Amino acid sequence: MSPWRKGEYVVAALFLAPGLIWFWTFALYPLLYAFWMSLHEWRIRGTSEFIGLANYARVFQDPVNLIALRNTVVYALISIPGQMILGLAIALLLAKATRGKVVLRLIYYLPVICSWVVVSLIFMFLFNSEGLINRFFGESLGWVDPNTAWLNDAATALPVIALLGIWKGVGWVMIIYLAALQGVPKELTEAARIDGASGFQVARFVTIPLLAPATLFILVLLTIGAFQSFIQFYIMTGGGPFHSTEVFLSYMYNQAFNFLDFGYASAIAWVLAGLILLISVIQFRFIRQTYSY
Amino acid sequence: MPKPFHMTLLTVAMLAASVGMAQTITFWHTYSTGSGEEQTMLEEVIPRFEAENPGITVEATAFPYQEFRQKLLTAFAGGVVPDLVRMDIIWVPEFADMGALEQLDEYDGFAQLQSSVFPGILATNFWDGHYYGLPLDTNTQVFLYNSDAIDEPPATFDEFVTFVQEASDPTEEVFGYSLPGPYAWYFLPWIWSNGGAVTDPDITVASGYLNSPATVEAVEMLVGLYDEGFLAPTIAGSGLGSWEGLGSGQYVATQDGPWAYPSITSQYPDMNFAHAPFPAGDGGSISVVGGEDIVMFSDSDDKEAAWKFTQFLLSPWAQMTMAPTGQIPVIKEALQDPYIQEHPFYGIYLEQLQTAKPRTPHPEWPRIEGIIQTAFQRVVAGDASAQEAFDRAAAEVDALLK
Amino acid sequence: MVSRALLKRILIYAALIIGALVMMIPFLYTVSTALKPNAFVFTADFFPDRPTAQNFVDAWGSNNFKRYFLNSLKVAIITTFFTVAIAATQAYAFARMRFPGKDLLFYMYLIAMMIPAMLMIIPQFLEARTMGLLNTHLGLIVFYVVGSIPFQTFFLRGFFEAIPNELLEASYIDGANRFTAFARIAVPLAGPGLGTAAIFAFLASWDEFTWALTIINDSGLRTLPIALRLFQAQHGTQWGLVFAASLIAIVPVVIVFVAFQNVFVKGISTGGIKG
Repeated sequence: MSPWRKGEYVVAALFLAPGLIWFWTFALYPLLYAFWMSLHEWRIRGTSEFIGLANYARVFQDPVNLIALRNTVVYALISIPGQMILGLAIALLLAKATRGKVVLRLIYYLPVICSWVVVSLIFMFLFNSEGLINRFFGESLGWVDPNTAWLNDAATALPVIALLGIWKGVGWVMIIYLAALQGVPKELTEAARIDGASGFQVARFVTIPLLAPATLFILVLLTIGAFQSFIQFYIMTGGGPFHSTEVFLSYMYNQAFNFLDFGYASAIAWVLAGLILLISVIQFRFIRQTYSY
Repeated sequence: MPKPFHMTLLTVAMLAASVGMAQTITFWHTYSTGSGEEQTMLEEVIPRFEAENPGITVEATAFPYQEFRQKLLTAFAGGVVPDLVRMDIIWVPEFADMGALEQLDEYDGFAQLQSSVFPGILATNFWDGHYYGLPLDTNTQVFLYNSDAIDEPPATFDEFVTFVQEASDPTEEVFGYSLPGPYAWYFLPWIWSNGGAVTDPDITVASGYLNSPATVEAVEMLVGLYDEGFLAPTIAGSGLGSWEGLGSGQYVATQDGPWAYPSITSQYPDMNFAHAPFPAGDGGSISVVGGEDIVMFSDSDDKEAAWKFTQFLLSPWAQMTMAPTGQIPVIKEALQDPYIQEHPFYGIYLEQLQTAKPRTPHPEWPRIEGIIQTAFQRVVAGDASAQEAFDRAAAEVDALLK
Repeated sequence: MVSRALLKRILIYAALIIGALVMMIPFLYTVSTALKPNAFVFTADFFPDRPTAQNFVDAWGSNNFKRYFLNSLKVAIITTFFTVAIAATQAYAFARMRFPGKDLLFYMYLIAMMIPAMLMIIPQFLEARTMGLLNTHLGLIVFYVVGSIPFQTFFLRGFFEAIPNELLEASYIDGANRFTAFARIAVPLAGPGLGTAAIFAFLASWDEFTWALTIINDSGLRTLPIALRLFQAQHGTQWGLVFAASLIAIVPVVIVFVAFQNVFVKGISTGGIKG
């Protein structure tokens, strides 16, 4: 090993040390401890009983987890494409705008800033059967039954919660794309324009492919976010009526803090983590193949 | 057996030291910050206790109710607990079962307090042969109606059905009655009043009680009226809230606790409302006991001072000082107090409390509640008949009670 | 005759403004509720009949709200500083250095991002107790920072990767070591990324509820989200008050965001090499 190489390792270690020590102490250790908990019939005080993988077996047998999987997938399939397409469109349009950029950007980003608790409450009222949506789209326009109880039926509750997800997240997607657009060389787009490509064609064949790393980043993050969604479900439906809008974390929260079953709750969370990991890996592979450059 | 001399000396020395020591008790509660509850506690009750007991300081902290259970559980898991907690009556058996709470029956003066409070709410502190707390405030639900629209509230189930049908006007979206939500707290009074039950008196089995004809009939009555368009959609958890519905004249009657009236009247000052006992079925007029108990954590390191404060909170002065903020006293003596006797509706609540029942005092209650609510919601949604839904619920609850 | 360029501009703005209006509806609804006197549920009218600022006055004046506000601000600012500093140094190492176990460590962060934070509440609580971090702002900061490290490292790595090698090489020739090159070249060039990271860190800390509720017992140490939740009494909610308080809570975040706008807008190539 050359002395220079050794020196480089020392420098890297110095750069990494604060973060790694911090992370190992306050995140990795608790994570492993949670895994340890998931192997037990965990008692909040007193002795816990080691039961091996029994909690994991229960995760796969519990029908509620299947419902949670279905709901999470539906929520992800509605909210992720919605956020990405709209966020990209807004970013591309904003990049072309000259005046009022600051204000527009702020308006689109505002929902990201608001706490989940507050926006969930707001949407609860918008979609209350006496709320604005029913008044306007029901009584005034006649598009929907003015007495629709949106949040009382999984068929309508999930799209409503997904709509909230889109509204809240679209600004975040826009910001990431705007940052990424800074990195798209002007020469390339201008060259394409000179060659006679329309604005749409430039976006389609030059800009969007160049944004692929950002797209991958956004997609992975949004997927993780969708699978870890909790507060909006917890507040808007509480997983009801009869578990029909349960997602993994709302169910886990109930198992942990309502039924004190911390071992089972940890097992649910670890299975969920595995699921997210699997999906993320598939996404990485897929996108890398599509845009190999 | 005589103690060794040095031990006695040590005890004396410790006692002497503790006299001069300032003691601090931590008291966690969910008194609402938006009302007079917390203010009265902080500005009147605690200062007086501290004045009467020099050397003891009470540190009271308010928590949001929805997250209070999680907070208490985590604190208990970590062994960092408060001395005293004012907790929802339905949690006491569970925390007692975990070994979190101090048994109070052996404490000096417990018997006297025991005989001074209403037995119904005292029962919520009893678990496995011991008392783990004392009642602090109580509430229940009564029948609340628009007195401009009806003169005489229904006194029986039959009268109730007739009243609901006559008072409703489906074309105008006026509903005779609003069950405020598809939750056990709201529908249990109907089941009990009809003679139904969740479990047997000894809490060993639900089959034959939770799916008995009396229980099923009560559910069928409510859901049947809803299906015919006489009950507000609140029974399914949608529609205009029961308070707003009552205030705006869309709902003619509903049921609720003592906190509802001040809120509704402040919002709708022109409407007239009155309270009445629940309509009586075959089981009588039976409502549900709500309220809070005061419990001491067994990890408390200042049990003596904590017990003093507990006794103080149950003193007639403290009970009557909290009463105007909506905290209904739990001491029998309060019935003779002029404030209660002249109060527009506390009398009805206290009368209803004489027969009101607690929700099943069992550590598994949170799960049981989930099961019976699911059953009720399935019937409302038309997913199952009342008999089917409650047969299944009874079997599930049986499994929990084994 | 409108020129094509102008027509295009009008269309772009029309789309942006209509979108912005749709985005604003829920907020306008919130504001109108906050302006309604003592409303505990939403009545149908979009605009209040008798608007009043009383809810804002009450919210700001009620039990220690100002103090909670300052607590939140303190915790969020310190959290932001440590998060960005730590994530930036790490991301730089991942982006521009070679060392054994690099991929393994990076995957560790990626996997950590996928694990729901709620899983760790009980173990972290026990840990915080052992270290004496319960009921302290330090206890909030330490765990907020660790919660953000994986994502921020992942996020910032891309910005440091985008820096042209020539710039760094040039600085070495000028006699800079790795640390000064990082501080003088890499950090300014990654400015937009760091600004974005700071906003994320600030937001995450500003809105965090569950952990704060779990470890803070003294009411004097509470942060805003807990105070907001306390406005919801046990029986029925004072919506007007809750929403007024929520709107007050949004203000500093809006200010932070607007302040950092410039960072976003500045090109990657600014900041440059000024000795």
